[in-house]
Amino acid sequence: MRCHGLAAISGSENRFLCLPAANPKPFSFSAHRSKPLKFPSRIGFVSLRAKAAVNDGFVTAAPAELSFYELLGISESGSLPEIKQAYKQLARKYHPDVSPPDRVEEYTKRFIQVQEAYETLSDPRRRAIYDRDMASGLHLAFSARRRYYDDEVIEQRSEWKNRWQSQLSELKRKSKYKDAGGNMSWASRMRRRREEQQSD
Amino acid sequence: MAEPAYTVASDSETTGEEKSSSTFPEIAIGVDIGTSQCSVAVWNGSQVELLKNTRNQKMMKSYVTFKDDIPSGGISSLLSHDHEMLSGSTIFNMKRLIGRVDTDPVVHASKNLPFLVQTLDIGVRPFIAALVNNVWRSTTPEEVLAIFLVELRAMAEAQLKRPIRNVVLTIPVSFSRFQLTRIERACAMAGLRVLRLMPEPTAIALLYGQQQQQTSHENMGSGSEKIALIFNMGAGYADVAVTATAGGVSQIKALAGNTIGGEDLLQNMMRYLLPESESLFESHGVKEIESMALLRVATQDAIRKLSSETSVQVDVDLGNGLKICKVVGRNEFEQVNRKVFEKCESLIIQCLQDAKVEVEDVNDVIIVGGCSFIPKVKNIVSSIFKGKQLYEGMNPLEAAVRGAAVEGAVASGISDPFGNLDLLTIQATPLAIGIQADGKSFVPVIPRNTTIPARKDLVFTTIHDNQREALIIVYEGEGDKVEENHLLGYFKIMGIPAAPKGVPEINVCMDIDAGNVLRVLAGVVMPGSRQPANRVMEVRMPTVDDGHGWCAEALHRAYGSTLDMVTVQKKA
Repeated sequence: MRCHGLAAISGSENRFLCLPAANPKPFSFSAHRSKPLKFPSRIGFVSLRAKAAVNDGFVTAAPAELSFYELLGISESGSLPEIKQAYKQLARKYHPDVSPPDRVEEYTKRFIQVQEAYETLSDPRRRAIYDRDMASGLHLAFSARRRYYDDEVIEQRSEWKNRWQSQLSELKRKSKYKDAGGNMSWASRMRRRREEQQSD
Repeated sequence: MAEPAYTVASDSETTGEEKSSSTFPEIAIGVDIGTSQCSVAVWNGSQVELLKNTRNQKMMKSYVTFKDDIPSGGISSLLSHDHEMLSGSTIFNMKRLIGRVDTDPVVHASKNLPFLVQTLDIGVRPFIAALVNNVWRSTTPEEVLAIFLVELRAMAEAQLKRPIRNVVLTIPVSFSRFQLTRIERACAMAGLRVLRLMPEPTAIALLYGQQQQQTSHENMGSGSEKIALIFNMGAGYADVAVTATAGGVSQIKALAGNTIGGEDLLQNMMRYLLPESESLFESHGVKEIESMALLRVATQDAIRKLSSETSVQVDVDLGNGLKICKVVGRNEFEQVNRKVFEKCESLIIQCLQDAKVEVEDVNDVIIVGGCSFIPKVKNIVSSIFKGKQLYEGMNPLEAAVRGAAVEGAVASGISDPFGNLDLLTIQATPLAIGIQADGKSFVPVIPRNTTIPARKDLVFTTIHDNQREALIIVYEGEGDKVEENHLLGYFKIMGIPAAPKGVPEINVCMDIDAGNVLRVLAGVVMPGSRQPANRVMEVRMPTVDDGHGWCAEALHRAYGSTLDMVTVQKKA
C-alpha cells in the first residue's frame, strides 16, 4: 500500500485537473450510463438533481428548458449592463433573504439557476462558448460543455493572476517569509525563528 | 445600578435554531464584538442608532474581570485605569482565542498576555485562567464571551425597554465554521439567538450599499453599479471585501482575511522596546504581570501617538530595575512591523485578484477599523489605488456595527417607508470547503468566494480493490494540504459494492443554504446502475467538538489509507 493511500489516478496530482469533475460525469446524459445520484431534499432545499438524464441540476431542474437568457429574461443580444441589471432584479425576487417564507425552497433553487446564468453570461468568454452551443442546438447538453467552461475559468484566472503575479512575488521577495503557517502572526513566526536559532 | 444577572443559561450545544413564534417582528440588534472594543446598534425606525452604556460610552472595552464570585465585563464595570485591566484578573482578546486549539500560532502569541494562556500543544483547547484572590481560576473563551454578552444584552434591554433576543453579529472573514459554532454557543449561553453572522467587511458593504442607494435616490439617478473595496483592520484581524452594488443589491465579489491586527503591532513593539520581555514575563508572577501591564500600556500609548506625531518619547519604569527610556520614530515603528504591513498589502491584492477587478474599476476605497488611523495603513491602500481619495462617508469605528444593525432590521423583515431598508446582500463563502482525497490533498467542493446559497458536487472513487467503505473528511480553508485547513467533521460511507478500485462513483455534494448552514451529502453509484448502491448520507457540519486538533491524526492512525478516496478525472 502506498504511503497515506496516495493513489491518484493519472494526472490527479494536479489539483486543478480534478476541478472539471465538479460536474460529475460530464457525458452521462446519454441515459444508459449510470444515473446521477438523487440527493434528498432538505428544508428550504429541494433536490436540485431531481430531473432526468442530464446531470446538472442547475440547468435542467424545474423550468426545464429555459436558456440562460430566458432565465434572466433578456434578449440574446443583451448587453453586460442589462445582464447585471436583470441579475440584480431577479436576486431581489428569488434570494432567500427576501423571498416569501412559504416559497423559500422553490426560490432558492431558482436563485442558484439565476446565479449560474449570470456567472456564465457576465463573462465574455463563457458567454461566447454558451452562445456557440446554443447556435448549434446544443444548449440542452450544457452540462456536458460546462467542463470546458471550468477550464476556461482556470485559464482566465491564471491569465489574471499573471498580471498580479509580479507584484505579489515582489511582496513575497521583500518579506522573505514562507507563508506556511497561513494564519500565523508575525510575532509567532519570529518566536519560532528565535526558538530555532536557540536550539541550533 | 441594576443587579447584574450573570447567570449563564445553559452550556448545551444549542445553536438556537427554533423559530421565533411571535408574529410581531422584533428588530434584531447589531453587535460588533471586537478584539479590543465592542459596540451595539439598532435600527430605530428611521436610522441606525448606537446604544450607550451607563457611562455614556458607545465604544466599550471587550473584557471580563473575575473578582470573587461575580465577574463583570467592560459594559458596566468601571476600571480606574488601563493597568487594572492588566492585573491578571481580566480576560480580554477572547475573539482571538475562541474556537482555537493549543497548537494554533494565534494562541501561542497570546501567552504573554497578563492572564494565563497555557498550551499543551496536542490539539486541544488551551487552558485559560484569570487570577482571582491569588488563584488561577480557569475559564473558557466561550464563557467569557457569554458573560460579556449577558451584560451587553442587559444594557440593550434597559435602553430599548424591551426584551432582546435576536442579534446580528459581525465576525472576522478568517473564522472557520467551527469558530462560528463557538460564537453561536456563547450567544445561546447568554440567551441570544443569532439571526446572522456577518463577515465584518460585508456589514460595511451593506452600509455602503444603503448610502449609495440613498445618494442615487437624491440624484434621481438610475443607480449604476458601483464597486467598492473595503479594508477593515482592527486589533485582532484584517479583512478585505470587494462589493458591487446597484439599486440596493450588494454582491460580495470576494473576501479575504487574516489574523493580523493591532495586537501584532503592539506585541512587535513591546518586543522591540524590551527584547527579553517574553521570557521575563513567562512566569506570570505578580511582579511580572505588573511590569507587563506597564509595558503594554506605555507601548499602546506610543503607537497611538505615532499616528499623529513622527516620534514619541517612551519613558517607563517597569520595576525590578527595568527602565525604558527611548525615543521611537514612526519609521522605526513601520520598520518593526514591516511584515504585518506587507501582509495587509498582499491581502488587498489577493482580494482584488479573486474578485477579478482592476484597480481602475474600483469606485470607492473604504478603510475602517482601529488600525485605519495608522498613517502607514493609509499609505499602503492609497499606493495600491494610485493615490485615489479614500471614501469619507463612514465612521471607521462604527461602520461594522452600523452595517450589522441595518442587517438586523432587514433580516427581521422590517420595511422602511423611504426604502432605506430595501436592501439585499448576496454573500459569498470566505473559505473553500472540501474533503481529503488524493492522499493528503484538500480538494475543494465549494471554492471560496462562491455565492451563497450554493450547492456543488464532485465525484470521487476508491483506491483499493473491493474497498467497501470510505471516509469523508471535511475541511475548510485555503491550503493545498488538509493539515493546513480547519477540520469540520468526518463520516464513513459504508456498503460500497465490491468492485475493482476506481469503479464505484462516490458522489459528494455540499449544500450551503440561505442560513449559511452547511450540509454534506454522500452516496455511491455503480456504473450502469440507476440506483444509488446504498443510502445517501447527509451530515450537517461541523460535527467536531473541542479537541478536533488531534481527530485527523487519530483517524489516520486508526485507518491509514484503507478508507481513502481519489478524485475522478474527466473522461477524455
